[in-house]
Order: sequence, then C-alpha cells, then structure tokens
Amino acid sequence: MGEERFDVSQAETLVDAFQRENVEFLFIGKGAAILMGYPSTTLDVDLFLPKDPENGRKVVRALRAIGFVLTESQAVEIIRGKDFVQLNEPFDLDLIHAPDGLPEYDKVKARSIRIEKFPLVCLADIIASKEATGRQRDRLELPLLRAFQRVYEQEQQRSQSHDQQQQEAGEGTRRLKRRVRGDKGQCAIPEES
Amino acid sequence: MTDNNQNPRVHSGSIKERNEWVEWEEQCRRQLRRPFEARLKAVWPRQRKPIPVRDDVSYRSFETMEEYRAWCENNLPEYLGYGRRAV
Repeated sequence: MGEERFDVSQAETLVDAFQRENVEFLFIGKGAAILMGYPSTTLDVDLFLPKDPENGRKVVRALRAIGFVLTESQAVEIIRGKDFVQLNEPFDLDLIHAPDGLPEYDKVKARSIRIEKFPLVCLADIIASKEATGRQRDRLELPLLRAFQRVYEQEQQRSQSHDQQQQEAGEGTRRLKRRVRGDKGQCAIPEES
Repeated sequence: MTDNNQNPRVHSGSIKERNEWVEWEEQCRRQLRRPFEARLKAVWPRQRKPIPVRDDVSYRSFETMEEYRAWCENNLPEYLGYGRRAV
C-alpha cells in the first residue's frame, strides 16, 4: 500500500494557502457536513469554486504553493472552470465548478456558513446536491444526513436560546451590580472582565 | 436503516429500526456538542492509497458533471458506490 491520504493538517494547509491568495471557495459534500458535526469520515476534499478566471488563477497559485504539480494545460482548465477537476497528489482534492443540484456560486455563497476558518456550503445545499447526483452512495447517505439536519437545527435553536439566557443573566447581574454600587458605595461584587 | 425520505420519527419500520434512528440522532447530538477542534480531527482519518482506478492518474477533468458521473459509473469498481443504479 502506498502513502497516507489527506489529514487534518493538510486541510488547514489548504485553507491557509487559499486564504493567502484570497481564493473564493466553499467546502462542499460530506466533508463539509462532517465539519458541521455530521458523525462520519471521508477520504477526499471537495471544494465548490466560482467560474471566474481571476479566481481560477489564484487557485492555481495556491495549489502550486502547497505542492500540487500542474502542467500549463491543466492550469488553463482550472482557470477556465471546467465543471469537475480531480487531483490526486499530494492528496485527493476535487474542484467543482458546477455541483449537481445547486445554483451558481454567488447564491450558494450567500447562504453558506463559516466555522472557524472553514467556509462551508450550508447543510440544505449539501443535501440538495447529494439528492441530485442519484449515486448509490448518496442515496444511502441521504436519510442519515436528513436526520442529522433535524438534530443540527434543534441544537442551533438550543444554542441560541442558551446564549440569549446568558445574555439576559449577564444584564441582570450588571443591573444588580449597579444597584449594589449605588446602595453601598464600594461594591463587593467584582466587575466582569 | 433504509433509503427513506420520510422523517424517521414517524417512520413505520420495526422497533429495532426506530431504535437505530434514535441512536443515530443521539450520536449526531453528541458529535455536535464536541468542540470543533475535536470534530476536525475525525473528518479525514489516515488511510492508505490508492483507491482503485481513481488514483491511476494524478489529474483528470471533465467538461460537465454528467461526463464525470458517467465516467465514475463506467470505470470505478461498483463497490465504491458511484453508480446511479437502484440501491
């Protein structure tokens, strides 16, 4: 057997290189879902890129900077935005300019999310894209993804509600501190940093 | 679990199947509550190359997604699941 496949440090290297070049891109597919919390694993990285020659030039620069060897004709294809480009060295990377089932990049970008430094196609779009492929592997995955989506939305609501409660509790504490200071002069309750 | 577009909660499968869905949702919930850094480590496990056919060349491209799907279907081993035939 040969070398090891993609790992997390390479994911960060890839993102850093793309962000240094100001590349427009979104993680798409199962990898993006897993970054959101979908309990699974994947072997490659799928990126959704706009069909924009200037962005394509940046992609080529970024890829070359992290060890992808591209001939001039391959670079031209990436710049031109061929629908699907698959690279295998130094790790598996799919560049997708027209994913199945999704509208153009700008629309998908407008509803995308970001976790840390990872820009991600939103879950509904990941599901829509997998629905459109008709592949066996996606058909098997879709019920699991839809169940994950429901839990994800519940957790988002739970988190927002928790944040709101924290905020309200914080305001309550600040009001109390102001009142205590007002009543007793030097307050015993320290200010929050 | 089956390829089912319905909400598993109202899914009319067996008790065992419903329990599997409940377990799956719990697994999702636990994973969502882990810190992002912990989740990140699990995305791409260390595995060994090559994938048959896919890794035969270091670069390939397709003018359209349909061409790519057809290539996968006609060239990749069936067990990889890239085919579009019924599950």
